[in-house]
Amino acid sequence: MESRIIASNLADLYRQAAEKYESLPAFATRHKALDWNPVSFREIYEQGMDLAAGLIEIGVKAREHVGLFSDNRLEWMLADYAIQLSGSVNTPRGADVTDEELIYIINHAKIRVAFVENDALQKKILRLRPELPDLREIILLSSKSEALEGVRPLKEIAAIGTWQRKNGDKRVNDRMNAIRPDDLFTLIYTSGTTGKPKGVMLTHSNMMSQMEVIPIELTCTDRVLSILPIWHIFERVFEVYTICCGTCTYYTSIRTLGEDLKYVEPTFMGSAPRLWESLHQRILENVRSAHPVRRALFHIAYFLGHYYQESIFYLTNNDLQLKPESMIKRGVLRAAHALRLLVLLPWYGFFNAAVLESVRQSAGGSIKATVSGGGALPLEIDKFFNYIGIPVLEGYGLTETSPVIAVRTEDKLVNGTVGPPVADTEVRIVDLETEEVLYPNEKYPYDGRGMRGEIWVRGPQVMKGYYREPEITRKVLLEGGWFRTGDLGMMTFNDSLKILGRSKSTIVLSNGENLEPEPLEMQLRQSRYIEQCMVVGQDQKFVGALIVPKLDVFQEENIQAESLAELSENPKAKRIIRDEIKQMLSAGNGIKNFEQVRDFRLLSNNFKVGEELTNLFKLKRHVVEQKYEKNIRDMFHPKEVKV
Amino acid sequence: MDIQTQLLYPIDQILLALMIFVIMFGMGGSLTVDDFKAVARRPRGVLIGFLSQFGVMPLIALGLAVVLNLPPAFAIALILIGCLPGGTTSNMFAYFARGSVALSISMTTASTLLALLMMPILLELYTTGFTRQITEAMVAAGADSSAEFVIPTLNIISSLVLVLVPVAGGMVLRRYSPGWAKTAEDTAGFVAIIVILYLLGTAFIRHSNLFLETPWQVYFSAISVGLLGFLFGYWVSRLFGVQPLFQRAISLETGIQNGPVSFAIILLSFPEPSIQNQMLWLAILYSTFIVMTSSFITLYLRKRGKFDWEVHRNTVVHNRLFGEEYVTDYPQGFLPPRIAHDPSQGTSPSQKR
Repeated sequence: MESRIIASNLADLYRQAAEKYESLPAFATRHKALDWNPVSFREIYEQGMDLAAGLIEIGVKAREHVGLFSDNRLEWMLADYAIQLSGSVNTPRGADVTDEELIYIINHAKIRVAFVENDALQKKILRLRPELPDLREIILLSSKSEALEGVRPLKEIAAIGTWQRKNGDKRVNDRMNAIRPDDLFTLIYTSGTTGKPKGVMLTHSNMMSQMEVIPIELTCTDRVLSILPIWHIFERVFEVYTICCGTCTYYTSIRTLGEDLKYVEPTFMGSAPRLWESLHQRILENVRSAHPVRRALFHIAYFLGHYYQESIFYLTNNDLQLKPESMIKRGVLRAAHALRLLVLLPWYGFFNAAVLESVRQSAGGSIKATVSGGGALPLEIDKFFNYIGIPVLEGYGLTETSPVIAVRTEDKLVNGTVGPPVADTEVRIVDLETEEVLYPNEKYPYDGRGMRGEIWVRGPQVMKGYYREPEITRKVLLEGGWFRTGDLGMMTFNDSLKILGRSKSTIVLSNGENLEPEPLEMQLRQSRYIEQCMVVGQDQKFVGALIVPKLDVFQEENIQAESLAELSENPKAKRIIRDEIKQMLSAGNGIKNFEQVRDFRLLSNNFKVGEELTNLFKLKRHVVEQKYEKNIRDMFHPKEVKV
Repeated sequence: MDIQTQLLYPIDQILLALMIFVIMFGMGGSLTVDDFKAVARRPRGVLIGFLSQFGVMPLIALGLAVVLNLPPAFAIALILIGCLPGGTTSNMFAYFARGSVALSISMTTASTLLALLMMPILLELYTTGFTRQITEAMVAAGADSSAEFVIPTLNIISSLVLVLVPVAGGMVLRRYSPGWAKTAEDTAGFVAIIVILYLLGTAFIRHSNLFLETPWQVYFSAISVGLLGFLFGYWVSRLFGVQPLFQRAISLETGIQNGPVSFAIILLSFPEPSIQNQMLWLAILYSTFIVMTSSFITLYLRKRGKFDWEVHRNTVVHNRLFGEEYVTDYPQGFLPPRIAHDPSQGTSPSQKR
């Protein structure tokens, strides 16, 4: 029943959606748990047209960059409709934008008209106004607070537009018709994990190519819960995709997520790994506190689910294939797996129905599948959800590739990978030093599958370049249209892409050993005692870790500590963490000897989004290194020599 | 055929009794007084279900017994199975088949109570021919000429009452500790599978020739009584024009009978060893096959009902969040004509779990 819209540009897509889906709900905003407000495809389009006419009237030109500083809300989407319909370019950033970023973005992108979300932001932008010579108009999205002097409320612009359209103003339609596939639809400034923000130029054809290749089926009867920041490309593309399919997006928040999962019964969700980690923890806590009988039933069910799904994966050729296997070996193992499957099937059937279903209910009962992106999903958690019957479709991409490069589909669900590259997209694995193409290369056995290197991509989703940064653009956007992602990866033997870490975050120890910190950190974060951590050791003799312990877990275990600072001095806590690290990073978990974390420091503060973490909870390594320089130095060069 | 050796040893009988207790207790654990009230609020669906369960199903059993020319004891057992109330597992299957769980629970509840009245009447009505055959056989075998095989109606009623006691116990538990009641409910299904497999396994070891000696008609009837129940349940409810959600629930409810109740009745009401053994054997076979057939039917119904169900859930969520009067207006051609006029598929009961 799926029928997505094929459009030539984003404005055209919005128009077609209004015509096709008319009064179906497009977005829903929450007032109370059981009181939501729907906005139909037609309504948001007409409001967007009014606002677009208003923008044109106050002087927004075609292809001009319009700022949009706000978090997820309906008005964000409305502003985006208006920007696209007026043929201009959306330059978004979240409400937590810092002064420096705001100044940099507005001046660098030459923004003349900017939307701001709320009272705090309008005050901030007015305060910085002297440093923003080009800025002419500020428009306030929220209707909850009064617009200050020099700021116009959204309603005013919309009213101007309504009046204009009533009097026969057709400029919006002319603008829409004049949009070329090569025009930008957005200019996204990425803070990235290093350096100053870069403006990624994405075109309408970038976006439209994504609409065609996303291998996920959505229809008018699906419900999508939105929780990731909309100004990030992953959520952005996903929301446009829901418009494309006539699916309604429900805006939720961390605070209300539990409730919303229950009442909205989402059938699909885009989410970051962090969400899965916390959901995983929550399920395990529930199991721990359940009746002993039910706990035992869960363990039996999970055991059965584990072996049942593994056999299914093997038989459908969806097991993680990092090494080549001979046909004979595979044939024998296939028979063994088929036999195991047959034996397990009735038992699995029963336990799936009686136990696992209620576990799935706690994660929102109707979820068919979810997409995870914006960071690597720990393998354990990935497997956990697949074993209990919630397929997680992990994807991979960057802002520069708008964003999807590869994504797992339900037919090709290889745990531990990000799935096969999407249609029309070529992927290369390139040697880091020699830049020799390792995959695909006939010279090597299996065309170079299984070889590690940097991932290069070519396809319709690759950005036009960084705005006003030809130097940096040339470094990543190579001749022939290849884009170097800066990520390490390999192609598995069943043609799924496996990500092995950022090439830049690789730690080189003083003995020359290379290691990727991410997998270790992921492993450590599995511990119920560890909230956050970062592995360090560049140019050192051994690997160390900075760890933010989970205060409440320690308190539950009767360790007296009022704060993280106090806890970080507690010898008992240190001992627990030490044991925990040993257990988490045992050789049995595939950790090599030199990768063992030999020492650690407990930090007295949490990592905060916007400081140590990006908005998608990725570590900004250089920030952490700077901030905790003392701890790191102390760890590697202690004042007192340990006996 | 005649099963001469003892099919069940005393230990098995104790196990079986324990299983019946645990299952009926678990069934009680899944019920609340509100479920009984819900029956009154939803009489139409339950009435059609009633017709299907006590009208069609016994006739299917009788028809099979006559057409296959089953030996009388098997025939009586088959009809007994046909007249049983609905089993608790039907609720779980209805859930996975995307049927109305609320209706399934209502039907199980109603039929369990009504069985007290309906089973004696139906058995009396449909088994007369077969009891006469047994009597004749007994006389021919040289028994006392005054000997007569009759359906022990009073015994049946008292066994039914007996199995309802743990149901009441389960309901009381549910009232005071929903957590434990849920545990009891989950455990019940597991225990049932274990005991049935145990009985099959021991039968296989002790009387391996039993499987070979059993005529194909008996296997055939044990399998097809459930399958035909699903089929007729589906079509009867469809003829009455109830919504797909209810069709799936009624279909499963009709085919899935409360096996443990039949064990209780057979053990308590038919003491004659040869007859008891034959009847028990058929009941064991039915209980085994019904798990498999209903699993397949559930998968089939689940697949078939996917679209209806998604439309239905979407409507339910829209009405829950946007207000009762909100009407979801799908694009032309999106809904098939079958549900186009009523996307909500009528007065859909909200899901129980």
